[in-house]
Amino acid sequence: MKHKIFAVFLGTMALALPALSQTASSSSLPLPPPVEKELAAKAANVTEVTLGKNMLGFAAKFMDGKDSDQAATRQLIEGLDGIYVREYEFDKEGEYSTDEIDKLRQYFETSEWSPIVRERERKNGETTDVMVKLVNGESHGMFILEAEPKELTIVLILGPIRMDQLGALGGLGGLGALGDVEKSTKDKMKSDEKAKKGGTQ
Amino acid sequence: MRRIWWIPLCLLVVIPPVVVFAGGDRGFDGVVRSIETRYHAHATRIPFLGIASLVARNATHNGVSGMHIAEFDNFSAEVDGDELNRLIEEKLGAGWERMIRETSKKGHEQTLIFTRPDGDRMDLFVVDLDGRELDVVQVAVDPSHLNESIAHYGHHGGDVSD
Repeated sequence: MKHKIFAVFLGTMALALPALSQTASSSSLPLPPPVEKELAAKAANVTEVTLGKNMLGFAAKFMDGKDSDQAATRQLIEGLDGIYVREYEFDKEGEYSTDEIDKLRQYFETSEWSPIVRERERKNGETTDVMVKLVNGESHGMFILEAEPKELTIVLILGPIRMDQLGALGGLGGLGALGDVEKSTKDKMKSDEKAKKGGTQ
Repeated sequence: MRRIWWIPLCLLVVIPPVVVFAGGDRGFDGVVRSIETRYHAHATRIPFLGIASLVARNATHNGVSGMHIAEFDNFSAEVDGDELNRLIEEKLGAGWERMIRETSKKGHEQTLIFTRPDGDRMDLFVVDLDGRELDVVQVAVDPSHLNESIAHYGHHGGDVSD
């Protein structure tokens, strides 16, 4: 009889324990969590946008399939695995360290990720890094890190994406900044190319 | 066999505490009650919201349904963004994903938007603190039906964005 009671108790606990652990997912960025938390703790304003595959699929349904532009955006969104945007605004300059930025960069300095933009402006202390995840020569992810003395923007897009498609994602809720990122990154890529051409002449 | 009554007794003894500790009061009401308890505030439920929800459902051809709204006026408590986020995540339970979070250290500004796919629908859960007003809203959206409604009004009333 004791065994039966014990078995019932165990069975009940086995059924009930999952209920104890049921909480909404924390939707954290797939980056080293301590860095994200450290930055969030120091920032005066934090904006986090996390769009998983489910949400992207849902957003795609709002696109009009008859409109060619929206149909292209819909196709793009449906192919993505996730979009993560983090914006940190700081009250004062120097509230985040270059070590923290380096930690973020190092996370993507693997053989899979290739840097396509690396901009350092000494005058105003702004830096821009754009890395692309290449699989069989095709882009399957993009990481953008824009650091200004009082502002830090991190964008991580997982799935097939090209730079010129970033602006198309700006129409999604909370991702308007992506259009600006695309524009500023393109400008920087152009100026880099000009500088290279100027150097070779 | 004659001591089989031990089994239901065990269930009765074990299940209630587990359910209570697991936060049996979940979802919209669970979140609102938790905010009331944690911040010593009182939520105002919108009267006749059930009717309004029904009207919204019909007006949008099932595009929008299941509206729940609670308002906290004169919300003066100090809010730790992380704590509020944890509280809501715990009470919402499994299946919900946080889509947007805006939090400011200074002032009372917190926005949290959670989503949960439910077949063709998407449940949205919004908590917005702006100054001394905190709003909690839950709504279910069906994009295909909502698109039809938007297109309908766009067709009759010009561009919706106008």
